[in-house]
Amino acid sequence: MFSELINNLIKETTGNGLNFFSAELWLSGTIVAMLLFRLFSLDRLVPTAFVGMIGAGLAVWYSFGQFQAIEADQSIVFFGGMLRQDLFSIYFRIFLSLFLILTIALTVLTGIPDNEDAPDFYSLLFGATIGMMLMASANNLLILFLGVEMASVPSYVMVGFLKGRKSSSEASLKYVVYGAGAAGVMLYGISLVAGVLGTGDMSLLADHLKVVSSGAAGLADPEVRTVALGVMLVMVGLAFKLSLVPFHFWCPDAFEGASAEVAGFLSVASKAGAFGLLVRFCIGLSGVPETAALMTAFGVALGAVAIVTVTFGNLAAYTQTNLKRLFAYSTIAHAGYMLMAVSAMLVMINSDQAAALSKEINYSIGGLLYYLAVYLFMNLGAFAVIALVRNYTFDEDISSFKGLMTQSPALAIGMAICIFSLIGMPPFGGFFAKLMIFASVYKAAGLHWFMYIVLAAGGLNTVFSLFYYVRILKAMFLEERPAEARKVSVPAVEGSYVLVLAAMVFLMGVLPGLANGLSSIANSAGSAVVSGK
Amino acid sequence: MQPSLSNYLLVGAVLFVCGVICMATKRNGIGVLMGVELVLNGANINFVAFSKFTALGLDGQVFSLFVIVLAAAEAAVALAIALNFYNNHLTIDVDRGNKLKG
Repeated sequence: MFSELINNLIKETTGNGLNFFSAELWLSGTIVAMLLFRLFSLDRLVPTAFVGMIGAGLAVWYSFGQFQAIEADQSIVFFGGMLRQDLFSIYFRIFLSLFLILTIALTVLTGIPDNEDAPDFYSLLFGATIGMMLMASANNLLILFLGVEMASVPSYVMVGFLKGRKSSSEASLKYVVYGAGAAGVMLYGISLVAGVLGTGDMSLLADHLKVVSSGAAGLADPEVRTVALGVMLVMVGLAFKLSLVPFHFWCPDAFEGASAEVAGFLSVASKAGAFGLLVRFCIGLSGVPETAALMTAFGVALGAVAIVTVTFGNLAAYTQTNLKRLFAYSTIAHAGYMLMAVSAMLVMINSDQAAALSKEINYSIGGLLYYLAVYLFMNLGAFAVIALVRNYTFDEDISSFKGLMTQSPALAIGMAICIFSLIGMPPFGGFFAKLMIFASVYKAAGLHWFMYIVLAAGGLNTVFSLFYYVRILKAMFLEERPAEARKVSVPAVEGSYVLVLAAMVFLMGVLPGLANGLSSIANSAGSAVVSGK
Repeated sequence: MQPSLSNYLLVGAVLFVCGVICMATKRNGIGVLMGVELVLNGANINFVAFSKFTALGLDGQVFSLFVIVLAAAEAAVALAIALNFYNNHLTIDVDRGNKLKG
């Protein structure tokens, strides 16, 4: 009996689990390799960044192999129901490991971790990425918590990585204090949800809620009320990771204190992982007619949070002069746009026409994934320009960008393309991403009037955001460079790195093959995550 | 008299509230981290109690084991960051970190 259990465990693990988990395993192996290389002084022969690059490349390769092996609507749980393998989790694996390669390339160009510290820095970077991959493939509330913590704890350290700087240590202390608090609150919420529903399996949450509430799930039932409280507390932790208002206050401070490379990593990767987790959690809770009214209300509440987040982020960015701080508020605003897609998905999936709307539901998740993919290139491009200019001017103020066009056209044009895409101007990728999200919000508006307000707020804010982005463009192209300002003489390789990112943003807008291909993959990933219920 | 589920949950809730109050009012960085530990342990009591009384079963105990390990790892990182802050500011009063205007 016991040996049978062990044999089944071995069969399941070696048959499926190890294969599905190979990208994460390669990243873990790379961490060990990087630390061992330093122990035996091999890092003087082989640069640590090179080892990291190989590890991240293998992770991309193996995730791509999984992408080819899986069928569109396949959804398999593995490791005893802890993780879930579907197109959605593979999408995030490829996305995150590609982003890891780009981040390592950026740190090599800017030289932020020196040779001594490189193994530490890259270990933290890889550890955080594994946590984010876990978040995107979580199928259990335990993995939800573990993934969030695994992504957060290395991030706290990376924010404080600039040693001997007051602002850096202050930023990381603030981040760790708020982050640990939010994680604790989230864990308490998980204990209530898991305890009352009697399961940790996220795909069973809605079914158990139906049983617990015995028929009509209303807030009058004390058990339903406890679960609602638990879900709210879980949302505190997720909102903190997504920097949604009112849990955004760490974001500008952490970004200003951290180096621009780390800020770029946090603004893209940790948002992406948290959105993957949010989508899985929301889908786990919905799809049962008895809980539809409650979950629609939840979706509308998320829409309201999205409105506040977008508006606050754009208004607060307006007065900033530090570029990292400005982009921190811009990150907050973009998290709001992406949250609109989740809100639209929740409203549609819990309506009585969910079956007829299945295509639109997939489209809303697809829009979110497409937005994340474009956001990767445009936001990383912007932070890369900030980091590269900082290396010459030792300044991250908007005034250091004055007359950048005369100094380095490559950086100025790359930055301009990223900014146009962040605003959402055609023909750049950001326009289509926004369009996809707004289209699904419009579909949801047919089911609930509040989504019209969400749509209007999204449209208005796109116009608002123009004003503070234009300040950067004005400084770069129209203003004279002050005579005493330091020269920015960027080598060709640094300029071309930024131009490659900018070109990707441009191509995602104008190449229909790329845009359609990516969005159809994103849509089928959306359909996989919905059908995996 | 055997204590029932709600007795355990009450203890967990009291710990949670104490922890949240501690996080909100303490100005000492270490004090805030102690509040976090209280919150985590409040959740742990919930998990173990639910595992005894409800269908959650052994899952609850596995949850709490993982949380104990994670809390230790997080505390180690948080203390290192607090030490780093102390080295730069010669204090661990979180309000003295006012260079960033958040």
